[in-house]
Amino acid sequence: MKIEHKHLEDLALGSVFLATGGGGDPYVPRLIAEQAIKQFGAVEVIDPSELDDDAYVVAIGSVGAPTVSLELLPSVEDAARTLEAFEKHVGVAVDAVASFEIGGGNSLIPIVAAAGRGLPVIDGDGMGRALPEAQMMSYAIAGVKPTPAVAYDYAGNVVTFSTNSTEVYERHIRSLAMAAGGMITTAEHPMTGRELKNSIIPGTLSFSIKLGQTLRENRGLATDMLAPLQALFKDSIYGECRLIFTGKVIDKATRIVGGYDIGEATIESFENNNSSLTVSIKNEYLLARKGDKVVASVPDLIVIVDYESSTPINAERLRYGQRVAVFAVGCPQFYRSENALKVVSPRNFGFDLDYIALEDIT
Amino acid sequence: MRIGIDVGGTHTDAVIMQGDEVLASTKALTSADVISGITNALDVILGESGISQSEIETVMIGTTQFTNAIIERRELAQVAAVRIGLPSGNGMPPMLDWPQDLKDALDSEYYMLHGGYLYDGWSLADIKPEEITNMINSMLKSGVKNIAIASAFSPINSAPEEQVANEIRKAIPDAKITLSHSFGRLGLMERENAAILNTTLLPFADKVVSSFLGALKQRGLDCPVYISQNDGTLMSADFVRSYPALTFASGPTNSLRGAYKLTGLKDAIVVDIGGTTSDIGVLQNGFPRESNVIIKIGGVRTNFRMPDILAIGLGGGSIVSDDGKAIGPRSVGHKLVTEGLVFGGNTLTTSDILVASGGANIGDKTKVAHITQQTISNAKQTLHSLLDNNIDMMKPGGKSMPVILVGGGAILVTDGLEAASDIHRPEHAGVANAIGAAIAQIGGEAEHMVSYRTLPREEAIKQVTKDAIQRAIDAGAAAETLRTVDIEETPVPYMDESSTCIRVKVIGELAALPTNTSEKIQESTL
Repeated sequence: MKIEHKHLEDLALGSVFLATGGGGDPYVPRLIAEQAIKQFGAVEVIDPSELDDDAYVVAIGSVGAPTVSLELLPSVEDAARTLEAFEKHVGVAVDAVASFEIGGGNSLIPIVAAAGRGLPVIDGDGMGRALPEAQMMSYAIAGVKPTPAVAYDYAGNVVTFSTNSTEVYERHIRSLAMAAGGMITTAEHPMTGRELKNSIIPGTLSFSIKLGQTLRENRGLATDMLAPLQALFKDSIYGECRLIFTGKVIDKATRIVGGYDIGEATIESFENNNSSLTVSIKNEYLLARKGDKVVASVPDLIVIVDYESSTPINAERLRYGQRVAVFAVGCPQFYRSENALKVVSPRNFGFDLDYIALEDIT
Repeated sequence: MRIGIDVGGTHTDAVIMQGDEVLASTKALTSADVISGITNALDVILGESGISQSEIETVMIGTTQFTNAIIERRELAQVAAVRIGLPSGNGMPPMLDWPQDLKDALDSEYYMLHGGYLYDGWSLADIKPEEITNMINSMLKSGVKNIAIASAFSPINSAPEEQVANEIRKAIPDAKITLSHSFGRLGLMERENAAILNTTLLPFADKVVSSFLGALKQRGLDCPVYISQNDGTLMSADFVRSYPALTFASGPTNSLRGAYKLTGLKDAIVVDIGGTTSDIGVLQNGFPRESNVIIKIGGVRTNFRMPDILAIGLGGGSIVSDDGKAIGPRSVGHKLVTEGLVFGGNTLTTSDILVASGGANIGDKTKVAHITQQTISNAKQTLHSLLDNNIDMMKPGGKSMPVILVGGGAILVTDGLEAASDIHRPEHAGVANAIGAAIAQIGGEAEHMVSYRTLPREEAIKQVTKDAIQRAIDAGAAAETLRTVDIEETPVPYMDESSTCIRVKVIGELAALPTNTSEKIQESTL
């Protein structure tokens, strides 16, 4: 398969759904990808299984605050320059690039890099959704080291990293992003084909395009969207898909939960039956509760969409009075392993509760 | 006394108001030259009421002329777009995703320069004087006079926009320039788009404002003239010569504001039922609730805030199924007067049902005598539950709220609505837009991105409020009447915990008018 201009709209739409409220608006990354493909041609997508065990792959994407890139626009060549700087730093040519996060704008950055360098992009990513920190990536969980890594800023400054742990890398890269205007491009988590096959969430790039297509073709009431979504998710790495609530946002506030600033949106049912859903937000939608009862939690996906059009709504854009529907989707099996839950369970976000898989909640 | 005029695409409405009271009103056709439509309307209201020109203190005008010009791609001037932000955004030129036909209509050119600022106030890049010189030479060659300038983070630091504008003015003294920071709000491409759309309308804005003022002068009205903008506040007519884009959503806003004034209800649902659609909007504290989705004007993403309107396919011309169990969204529209049954046509419409039920006496009611009671009662039930369900979706909370019915189709609602605590059918609902214009106040808005770590929250809000107040005063507000109506804080994701976008909006009375005591603010909290 090749990614062409015509796929980008669906990819962007699907990636916002998978971003579960975070990941930033992919509008600008999509424009960049359109320009890159216009300039350099379509990008080849390869399945992880097609990759040589000895191939050398690096993950690429943007780190920082997506809100900043609404002013500090990325340049078309940033991603390819980042890759070149990485190759120069490690002295090895890269065979393919991978995404570290399919949710939001980072679904598109590897395509921009691949187009600029004439390389293939791997069908898959390191999260299967959006998550806030590097140590939550499937690559990191499976033991891939984040460094050697390279960061590239809007002015062409290059910073290289060699860190002892993923947590330290995460801290350093965040600080650099702040110091470099709020947004940087990084090439990180270099790995062999063999390592990649063991650590990637496979197929998410092509799946996101299909998901976007489903959302576009069935655009309309969320209650009518459920069936097509269930049909799509059933045969994917995600599985379960539920429509857990429909109603109006009646409150959005920020409170401290376990030392974190956690936002909370309260959604009241359209039927005047005093039923409401509370969604906790830290960059992404993390936890959905009816009263004390958890109906979905991270790492499963919680997605809030516009009730009338089923367009996914970013957490920053969620506002009082909006009419919304809330979907919950099971996360890929990888994230239900003991190892993965050590870093992505509700406890890692400050909630005093254990993860229960969506299918086990009645 | 105030005159409110609404210059729409088809109708020009006018009212004379004293306080909350409507003394005279009329609906006239909009003329091609705009002027005679206004003078005709003025003749009616001044003539009927016998009020003399000297008693009119101000005239407020609402207009869709500029929105229509963008949508219809007419009256658009040649534009140069200048972006200051390199090396960021290289390969992402202005107007990148505009519809081609609009780009063609603008006959546009663009320039990208180094410069701008970062979110924290650091310089993004130094301005390069030779780039400015080359740009100006190119502009002189093309002869472009209408220029839009946008720089990265200009809502935080507008110096690069001002500097480049000054250089251009030195070389092209008659240049008409829009600086993007006048449109506030973060989001460089959307702010730049707003500036470019504004710029391409500048010559037309001159023409329209001159027509407005000319028409008023012809009728001996020498008082201050204001034009209403998107958020239901006013700007002076001369201000619109520079900022026509600020009128883009004034139509629906004025309609909602008019409904508020006609009923005095600050929190209510407004349902405007026309021939084809019902537009449902929400009044919150007397102002329209704003939509949160990105608004496109003529196919272009902008950062304007627009009222949150839910349009459903239900109006006086909506087609009804034979059993009455389905209505709309298809409508015979303006052909109702030939296609509806009571007018001798062959299509069963909601208006026919109304006549058949005895709810109105229009057309020939013998043509609907054959409709069964069952069909009539089914159709009525379908219509009311359609409205009920959609009003329910727009209501901010679970409680029932007052519903204000306006528009020609309001008579279709013959029974109660479950979603409504009570139903209001104000007099003069047909000229709600002109009333909305007549009661508008003056506002100002500012937005900054701040870190509460370096700037305490209260101090930050104070600074943004100060900017908003300055904007309102520049637009013609009386400083002592200004009050904060909205403070919006949005945490910036993935930034340090205390980074926040603050947006503040203030509203007050016109400086030109004596303060209306009933709306006077006792204590300014600013």
